[in-house]
Amino acid sequence: MKRWLGVGMLALVLAGAAHAAGLEARSATSAPELRASDLMGASRTLADYRGKVVLLNFWASWCPPCLREMPSMERLRVKMAGRPLAIVALDSAETADEVNAFLSRMKLGFPILLDPDGSNTKRWKVFALPTTFLLDAEGRVRYVLTGPTEWDEGEALGAVESLLDEMSVTAK
Amino acid sequence: MWVCAFAVRADLPDHQVFPAYGQQLLLWAVSERGRTEPEVQAAQKLADQGVETWLLDLVAAYFLPQLASSMDAVPPQDLVGLLRAAQASGKRVAVAAVSRAAVPVLRAAAALDPVERQRLCVMLMYPNLYTVVEPLAEPDFLIVGSLAGLRVQVLQPRRSAATPWLPGLLDHLARQGAVTRYVILENLREGWWARETPTEFEMAESRRMDAMLLRELNNGGCK
Repeated sequence: MKRWLGVGMLALVLAGAAHAAGLEARSATSAPELRASDLMGASRTLADYRGKVVLLNFWASWCPPCLREMPSMERLRVKMAGRPLAIVALDSAETADEVNAFLSRMKLGFPILLDPDGSNTKRWKVFALPTTFLLDAEGRVRYVLTGPTEWDEGEALGAVESLLDEMSVTAK
Repeated sequence: MWVCAFAVRADLPDHQVFPAYGQQLLLWAVSERGRTEPEVQAAQKLADQGVETWLLDLVAAYFLPQLASSMDAVPPQDLVGLLRAAQASGKRVAVAAVSRAAVPVLRAAAALDPVERQRLCVMLMYPNLYTVVEPLAEPDFLIVGSLAGLRVQVLQPRRSAATPWLPGLLDHLARQGAVTRYVILENLREGWWARETPTEFEMAESRRMDAMLLRELNNGGCK
């Protein structure tokens, strides 16, 4: 379902809504290409996470709603330890210095990727921050969320669990 | 001290006038979030420096909710009347529009006669011209009509989700005939003067908003 961005994006970016309207389920579609580097300079693509459910979060250090949901992503990582879930946070159009300055204040155990020229942001057609994609183990986009949420509870956790459950069923 | 007056003409949308003796007039349409104190102060400072400033809160003028979509409901002809009234002053007229206020401003500019439009200079601060957007889908921008000959300068804060999409926005404006240029405002977010948790730099830039606008008016060929 399309959203009126005039209302949606600016409400998120300026007002920093506490919760987004909800996860949008998508029919399984191929994910755009991801070409990014991590904070050590190593190249990363979606192939690095193949065989896992991926939570790909587009964020920026200047974006209050992005920062507000990050602790819940970290709690999700801890809660899902040992299960095939990769949480990846891709910083949109900032420098490594800006990202590192933020990370010195918030300790996160999941990988942070850089997109300094915004090319991934454009390839994935991200118009508001945060925007998060849930990908199944085949690398297909299954859910999209524009805006923040608490990832370790409620509807968001349910969506992650459902994709993990699909993997269990497939494996049997 | 300047005296602020309201509604110079009954048939025009309410606006706050900061008179000045200079030959430049800035019609400043604030965002859908309404007029803020830093904007009022900047308008006063601009007037003190000779730039007559008309501050226009469109959502308040039409009793609309403070939503971006409200700007789409503003009658362009009313704004055309305001632009013509400004040009009738004999001063050089520039328009500043913040966020979704770009929509009624550009629609009004498109409704002007070509000669009137070419005399106008428009500054769009982080314009929101999307129709609908959806992650994973190409953006769709509003068609506002012919902007042939209109000088449009986009002031885009670096710290904005819209910044990566600026080239597409400029192309869209150019395809409608506008003569475009842009300026990236470093270390700023959209609406930096009205943020709940502003940075030190944003607070300082809020106090200097008049200087920034004056600089870009001059750099953008609006002088």
